[in-house]
Amino acid sequence: MTVAAGIGYVLLALGSSLSLFIAVISHKPFLVLILLSSTLVWLMSLIALSAVWRGFIPFKTAAWWPYALLILTSVASQEALRLLLWRLYKRMEELLDAFAGRVSKPRLVITDKMQIALAGGMGHGVAHAVFFCISLLTPAFGSATYYVEKCSRIPFFLVSAMIALAFVTIHTFSMVIAFSGYSEGNRTDQYFAPVIHLAAGMLTLINLGSGGCIIGIPLLYGMAILTLLHCGKLVWRRLTENRRQGNIY
Amino acid sequence: MEQNPRPRTVLETLGEEIIRIVTPVSICMLSVVILVSILNGDSSSAGDLPITTMATIAYKESSSDSTWDKLKGALLNSLVFVAVVTVVTFLLVLLFYLRCTKFLKYYMGFSAFLVLGFMGGEIALLLIQDFSFPVDCITSAILLFNFTVVGVLAVFMSKMAIFVTQAYLVVIGMLVAYWFTLLPEWTTWVLLVAMALYDLAAVLLPGGPLRLLVELAMSRDEDIPALVYEARPVINDSGPSGGVVRRRVWREGRGDTDENQGLSTNTRSGLSSDSTPGTHLSVGIGEHEMNLADAEEGRVTGGDSELTTPLVQHINVQMNSSENAVPSENLVLEGIGLGSSGAIKLGLGDFIFYSVLVGRAAMYDFMTVYACYLAIIAGLGVTLMLLAFYRKALPALPVSIMLGVLFYLLTRLLLEDFVVQCSMNLLMF
Repeated sequence: MTVAAGIGYVLLALGSSLSLFIAVISHKPFLVLILLSSTLVWLMSLIALSAVWRGFIPFKTAAWWPYALLILTSVASQEALRLLLWRLYKRMEELLDAFAGRVSKPRLVITDKMQIALAGGMGHGVAHAVFFCISLLTPAFGSATYYVEKCSRIPFFLVSAMIALAFVTIHTFSMVIAFSGYSEGNRTDQYFAPVIHLAAGMLTLINLGSGGCIIGIPLLYGMAILTLLHCGKLVWRRLTENRRQGNIY
Repeated sequence: MEQNPRPRTVLETLGEEIIRIVTPVSICMLSVVILVSILNGDSSSAGDLPITTMATIAYKESSSDSTWDKLKGALLNSLVFVAVVTVVTFLLVLLFYLRCTKFLKYYMGFSAFLVLGFMGGEIALLLIQDFSFPVDCITSAILLFNFTVVGVLAVFMSKMAIFVTQAYLVVIGMLVAYWFTLLPEWTTWVLLVAMALYDLAAVLLPGGPLRLLVELAMSRDEDIPALVYEARPVINDSGPSGGVVRRRVWREGRGDTDENQGLSTNTRSGLSSDSTPGTHLSVGIGEHEMNLADAEEGRVTGGDSELTTPLVQHINVQMNSSENAVPSENLVLEGIGLGSSGAIKLGLGDFIFYSVLVGRAAMYDFMTVYACYLAIIAGLGVTLMLLAFYRKALPALPVSIMLGVLFYLLTRLLLEDFVVQCSMNLLMF
């Protein structure tokens, strides 16, 4: 529906990430590198999943359980990847601290670590938005639009952009929560990310039903807001604790 | 609010050089993708080059041929192209050996003129046609002429503002890359792989032309005139180093420097000191591509400037390539390396071939564009890491091209169906 609409859909899905990028990440080149590598890693996870499931899709049945299985396996493998990323991050943190020692600079402070986690999470979110939403938007720049039967009131592009926005938020901030949980050993935080991811994935199953997106998408946004609130509380708590301990951040 | 100022940790400046190279590469790729989508969007097969070029001299692909025929034809084309590039590279080495540097410089300016004037003019014409832009031919001729002349000056003179030079180099890369995307599909892909392999051979084999060239230049301690993109160096104090930024100096590489402590030991040494940067520039005439990487020490200039902490301290990637979309065209390009002030330099050939790969991916679908973009940037990063590790001349093109081609195939064959199926059912995770 013309270039303006196409750009509108892109900004809808990625607009908040763009502003976060400009405000926080673009000032520190290292975070940009983390963002790019994180996006690449999650792309590779998507390719691996598609390699596994390639033989089975499109599903011949109209039942919902193959889709549930698909989402379950995908979320499980992505969460396993998140653990692996945490290990890698620990290694990198050691290297960075050693490097900082050699060039006589202070070690990484807590805001640095959270910013790295934020960049990593944003990479995940951007990978999701780009491959699930933006790359399908090419027809939207033309002169027509497209509707899916299951959700026939809103153009398909708009629906996928809205879902992508919710997922971007969830992915970006659950990485911060997860990394903070792993470093502190806080069980709630550690389990928060996988649970929310799985719940969000399962919620999209509601979209399989006719008119399901009217219920599914608001619930998804509820998840996103929950993630945002939890992350905000966590960060606030850690920063005030840090300041109380006398550290400068 | 905070009473104490925030401490400047190592995260503030780490990785800045890499970003300063990744940004122009990304801009070049983005412009080629946009050009391709605007100009080639209407017809997929009618966008072929109307003239026979060096790369299609052996076989002209048509969509009615079988796959096997296309593959054979593409291989033949690439072989011819690589052979021509090899011959021209050896010619270049010979010219450099005979000290015809002036000739090379003039040739470089001439090819920049041709690229900007003729290729740029054609693309401008196509764009004006496409958008029905109301401009008359006298105005556009004057504008084009001015644009071209400033571009040639930017390439020639080292006194031009660095941003102008960088912008013009990116534009030259973009124009040549766009013309390369007009080649037939199979030929393009096989050509990319062939050039990556040629690069590998030319740099690593003892008789390789690029290696010879670099050794020649090193032994003479001379500059090779070539088209190279030089990133702004990472310094905080631009006093004494201001005039040195554009100097490209040859030094003997010595292996005794401390890899990680290069900065602190060399902070106070002057620019002509005994430190061990080894910059390499390679020159290409005609079609050839040279990818070299050499190690060089990063350096901090200025007295009281804060220590900058480049992530890559001993990186010197040298790449050199030139394309010949029109048989009479020749470009002289220079490789990537670390300049004497620690700035990373990147040869134009890399810009061009990366953009060709991404442009070709854009002709299929945007999903492949994103995947290939990420793969190429990852390949660039891996190459820089390898250079920091091995500290010798390494080809920089192969890793990115191979990763790019791999991701293109994986995305096209596997990912696309999966994602489309999931998205159509509004299932996401």
